[in-house]
Amino acid sequence: MAQDGTPQLICLTASSGVPLFTRGANRQLPFSVIGSLNGVHMFGGSQGVVVSSSSTEGGGKVVWRVFQDSVMLIAVCRGGHGGAGSSSRAEQVFLQRLLENVWNCMVLVLGQDELGNVRNVERLKKDLRSCFSLIDQLLEDGQEGVFGNLTHCADSLLPPDPGLLQEAVDGFAKSADSEFGCLIVRGRIAAATEKWWRLAPQEVVLLSALVRSLAGSGTSSCDYPVFLPRGSPNVAHRLLRFQLLPGADVCILCGPTPSLHRAETRLVVPFWAPLMETLRACLAVGQHCLPASVSPRPDVMAVLLINRETRRCVTCVQPNLQTSDPPLPSRQRCWELLKLFYSFSVTRYFPQEDTLCVVPEDKDPRSNAEDFVLSFSHNPLQCYLVTEECKSFGLQTPQHQLFLLTPLSVPTFALQTLASQTLSDIVSATGF
Amino acid sequence: MAQICPPGSILVADWHRSKDSKEYFNKILHKKRRRKFGLLESPMMPPHLAVDTVHYKIFICGKSGVGKTSLAARLAGMNVPNMHYETKGIETTMVYWPVKLREGGKVLFFCLQLWDCGENALRRFDHFLPSCQEQVDAVLLLFSFTDKTSFDDLSNQITRWTGTSLVKVVVGTKFDLFMHCDVTETDVRTFEETRSLPVLHMGGEDIDGLGDVAPLLNCLAENLWHQDCVAAASGTRRSQQETEALI
Repeated sequence: MAQDGTPQLICLTASSGVPLFTRGANRQLPFSVIGSLNGVHMFGGSQGVVVSSSSTEGGGKVVWRVFQDSVMLIAVCRGGHGGAGSSSRAEQVFLQRLLENVWNCMVLVLGQDELGNVRNVERLKKDLRSCFSLIDQLLEDGQEGVFGNLTHCADSLLPPDPGLLQEAVDGFAKSADSEFGCLIVRGRIAAATEKWWRLAPQEVVLLSALVRSLAGSGTSSCDYPVFLPRGSPNVAHRLLRFQLLPGADVCILCGPTPSLHRAETRLVVPFWAPLMETLRACLAVGQHCLPASVSPRPDVMAVLLINRETRRCVTCVQPNLQTSDPPLPSRQRCWELLKLFYSFSVTRYFPQEDTLCVVPEDKDPRSNAEDFVLSFSHNPLQCYLVTEECKSFGLQTPQHQLFLLTPLSVPTFALQTLASQTLSDIVSATGF
Repeated sequence: MAQICPPGSILVADWHRSKDSKEYFNKILHKKRRRKFGLLESPMMPPHLAVDTVHYKIFICGKSGVGKTSLAARLAGMNVPNMHYETKGIETTMVYWPVKLREGGKVLFFCLQLWDCGENALRRFDHFLPSCQEQVDAVLLLFSFTDKTSFDDLSNQITRWTGTSLVKVVVGTKFDLFMHCDVTETDVRTFEETRSLPVLHMGGEDIDGLGDVAPLLNCLAENLWHQDCVAAASGTRRSQQETEALI
């Protein structure tokens, strides 16, 4: 399971092929290659064929997609080392999802109208720059352990004191005349109003990403127009964000009132100052995502737990892995392996309603993986994979999906027990 | 309208360089960089050195691309974005700055909240301008040394704000790009004389972290404090008159 570096993203106008921007990868593709990539797609179009993906002998991948008949996105992934378990299907899913996410980012910031009817290309080019920090976050996986872009489930953090924070978020949003409120700690949702969870899962993930990128610039509050790709692609809502403590941001989605000044001076301190200690405790949970009381067994290296009903996910990598021989993968590698194992499992064994938003024409009749999944007359509940670096186990129940990594020293027959125990430990302790 | 006060008339000039300021400036620094404060936090001094914090709202305005966001980041000691893009909404930045009053030697923390909003966003959405103007204490009027039109536009910007008792400070950005300089010293001097507004320069490398922002922050703090003193004096006079009238 090896990662093939950062994919490169190219955005062009669909009708004329004028390049709008390119992001990702250190070495940019030469203009002639970009032109050819566009040309291939255009030629297909003139023959009544939609070119959607292609792979090279060296393992490189190219994925095309046109949005709103106006913007074409192309993702290019250089051929990698394609180690054990690397599946071309999984990579394609990853790239397709990337294009969709990038488009949604563009809609979120600029609105569908502006992207759908391009009147002035130069103007659009300039405007698109405002999306770059968000797009780069998607391409580079800016933060360790953030899985939302891949799973389309909201990255969550389970705070030690959920009740207090929930109450504060509800009260805060209500006093600002809004039903949509959310507290984001270290880039993950710690509490949100019921309505926030009813937004489309992609929107919840995108808004978290936007808050991460706004908070990253070091500003203390903002009033930002956002277009919800599903709910309101043409009419902007206001996203008010307040940085309570560095790393803890509260935000609301609202209409014309209240003004940023008013919300900040009248509401922020009364609601949140009494919760300073609770917020600090929440920040201390940090990357672990789980309260200190819940700690996975020492032979679990990394966990990804998804709640399929609420569309939320939590992740953690054991902070202090014991040294052993052969050496265990680094923290960063654990996150990578977890991502790869997730993509591997959902493309092969756990296909989901919404996880694979494969457009019908994207289906490649020769794809073995596809046949493999379709050939099942039943629904797989568990899967495992043993590689040179670690052992991985996946498990699904009607409500949850759990993916975990263990060192090679754990006997394979113990994986199943380990996984079900981890699941029941976390669920019973946190009610996730 | 409050008159401008010459630098160093109210506050100790270059206080950040003197030794006795160390413990105060240490509160806004962390590992040689500026400390970040959330809205619920402020610099905490030990009880025997308790210091008052005064809050002000400052609106940064100027033509698109003039460097409003960069200036805010610069003043707060944050990373300046390396590529220009439009700010799509309002972004506010908190800057804490300790000062020492010349009279009595009292130390104060100024909490300056800088409000930055993209010009096109202001035009596209009507709620942004009123929000920025609500209870604002000062405006920073920006022009770029590399763009003469932004300098010429200043008079328009100033007329937007006449009649209000606000502190106005003009800041010329990108002063380091002298190769592309489009606004001359004489232009600036004439402007300073006719408008009687202070004009400051920004741009160039960050030397010691505080040295490059100190003149601007001190100038702002001094004028804000002066304005408050004038307002307080007239306020007390008014209340005295009222009491006399009652008697």
